[in-house]
Amino acid sequence: MRTKDFAYWLFLAPVLIALTLVVIVPMLLGVYYSFTSWNGITTGEFVGFQNYIDLFKDERFLASLWFTTKFSVISVILINFIGLSLALIVTSRIKTSNLLRTTFFMPNLIGGLILGFIWQFIFIKVFASVGEMVGMESLQVWLSTTETGFWGLVILMSWQMAGYIMVIYIAYLQGLPKELLEASEIDGASSFQRFRYIVFPLVAPAFTVSMFLTLSNTFKLYDQNLSLTGGGPYNSTEMVAMEIFNTAFVQNTFAYAQAKAIIFFVIVAIVALFQVYWNKRREVEM
Amino acid sequence: MAKLLMDQLTKTYDNKVTAVENFNLTVEDEEFIVFVGPSGCGKSTTLRMIAGLEDISSGTFSIDGKKMNEVQPKDRDIAMVFQNYALYPHMTVYENMAFSLKLKGMPKAEIKDRVRNAAEILGLMDYLNRKPKALSGGQRQRVALGRAIVRDAKLFLMDEPLSNLDSKLRVQMRTEISKLHQRLKTTTIYVTHDQTEAMTMATRIVIMKDGVIQQVGTPKEVYDQPDNVFVAGFIGSPAMNFFNGRIEGNYFVMGQTKLLIPDSALPEGLDNQEVIIGLRPEHITHKPVKDESTVEVNLDVVELMGSEYMVYATLEGHSFVGRVDANLDLAAGTVFPMAFEMDKARFFDPTTEKRIK
Ligand SMILES: Nc1ncnc2c1ncn2[C@@H]1O[C@H](COP(=O)(O)OP(=O)(O)O)[C@@H](O)[C@H]1O
Ligand SMILES: [Mg+2]
Repeated sequence: MRTKDFAYWLFLAPVLIALTLVVIVPMLLGVYYSFTSWNGITTGEFVGFQNYIDLFKDERFLASLWFTTKFSVISVILINFIGLSLALIVTSRIKTSNLLRTTFFMPNLIGGLILGFIWQFIFIKVFASVGEMVGMESLQVWLSTTETGFWGLVILMSWQMAGYIMVIYIAYLQGLPKELLEASEIDGASSFQRFRYIVFPLVAPAFTVSMFLTLSNTFKLYDQNLSLTGGGPYNSTEMVAMEIFNTAFVQNTFAYAQAKAIIFFVIVAIVALFQVYWNKRREVEM
Repeated sequence: MAKLLMDQLTKTYDNKVTAVENFNLTVEDEEFIVFVGPSGCGKSTTLRMIAGLEDISSGTFSIDGKKMNEVQPKDRDIAMVFQNYALYPHMTVYENMAFSLKLKGMPKAEIKDRVRNAAEILGLMDYLNRKPKALSGGQRQRVALGRAIVRDAKLFLMDEPLSNLDSKLRVQMRTEISKLHQRLKTTTIYVTHDQTEAMTMATRIVIMKDGVIQQVGTPKEVYDQPDNVFVAGFIGSPAMNFFNGRIEGNYFVMGQTKLLIPDSALPEGLDNQEVIIGLRPEHITHKPVKDESTVEVNLDVVELMGSEYMVYATLEGHSFVGRVDANLDLAAGTVFPMAFEMDKARFFDPTTEKRIK
């Protein structure tokens, strides 16, 4: 064991203090408040598990949790699928690959709120005009139903994040030894078989990173949700982050919102840990 | 089993680098051909064109009379061993060897037979369930060979397969590959930059330089009858010694030194011509009787190799290596009479560097 002397702790101190102040203390305070009836002004009294009991009966909260889960699962699959496909396209030998990389990555540089408004315009105005032109009813009602709101969010999110995830996949794809692909070619693999048996298993480590990033991003989504659908119609596209925000700042039940936030945190943590563990097992060391 | 024909093969890369130029070669069935040459001379490029991993810029390549230029690597029925093994890291040794058979849709039982058979030959039976990561360099090399031999392919291609191994293992694997070839008789093309590997393994050697074939021949031919200075200097270790001088009558004259050339060894029409002569180290030695091709030289370095000395000396500004029997007592810094066996000399034109016969 290395002896940890004074200098060691001295160098560590700034980070430790900062972490304690901005992460650990608020976290513990948050846990404490979730057991009270704090309303933002008065600390309120200690109410035990009442907030937790309430929230499991809170239909709006449960609905948002379910909506978020559905949204996350579908988005994670779609984003990773599109991201990997884009990565495969731009790493193949096409001339415009640098231009394409830039283009695919661009949506990431636009802030979530703006993006939401842009897509709102596309879904409502552009889709409607196109729908009118080709006579498709279904294109004219976008974002006005739960269904279209859901898919609107999925599309928006995929469009934004696929380019980002693509970059991660590119890094892994380019790290694949060229000889392995050539060896498989000589072994008689078609391009699909090469992908299925060689490329796919070997980029498995990228899934760990990518799925973690997409999952945490989709689960915590707020601004795109706010600007695209605002939770409507009738709160049916409200995601957990927004629901918690409304509980706290619209209904002024801060302690209750705090309890929801902690449940939310626990769920995200469990999912993330499980997923990292599961992906790690499949990784291959070269 | 295959007969190969390479006709005017040329490869020009996008960046206008011509890596291989007008490569002509016919390979008979069951041959073990070695491409040898310094790094960057186009050996790998040629091999990769044969494998189909690199497009052929011009010329034709055919196997058994069938033109292969446009045929996909997977349809050429070849097996290849890569320099860094290129084993699939996520598959076990068994899966690595079985992969190509599985892709062919071969029945499981037959795959098992073949893999076990190959593993037996290569001494890999105990490692079938290991991943490549858990193998030593030599074992990985064997797996790479195993992956090639289970295929029962028409043609084996090997690109510097031994260069990542330590020297002892390299010698051992060298003999194993030769034995494997004697046993399987599969036509093989083997690439190396090591002339010893070429000499010991090949049925015929193809010596390349700057993308151009310098000479094709059996190990004995290229050693005894090198076509040019490059081949003469590249094949053989230590390398052949070269001396620039001129022919005067029956003598090779170089500064103050005159060496008598026996009539039978002197090509005609060289009188008063500048030439380069090449003499292998074993032809610069010690003879009990001095004659007109014996020269007193100052020994720079003397290395005792066991049964003989390697003697490094300088004559008229040309440093050279000779070999002398270890029974004599030699020491660096002393003067010693060296016999130049001029009947073994090879003559080269100093401008074209081609051999004068
Ligand atoms: N992909 C490539 N693009 C451009 N030039 C290449 C490429 N591969 C090889 N070369 C060039 O072709 C020449 C021959 O290379 P190579 O066949 O690999 O040589 P060797 O295997 O004999 O060492 C070298 O000059 C090398 O720089
Ligand atoms: Mg090479």
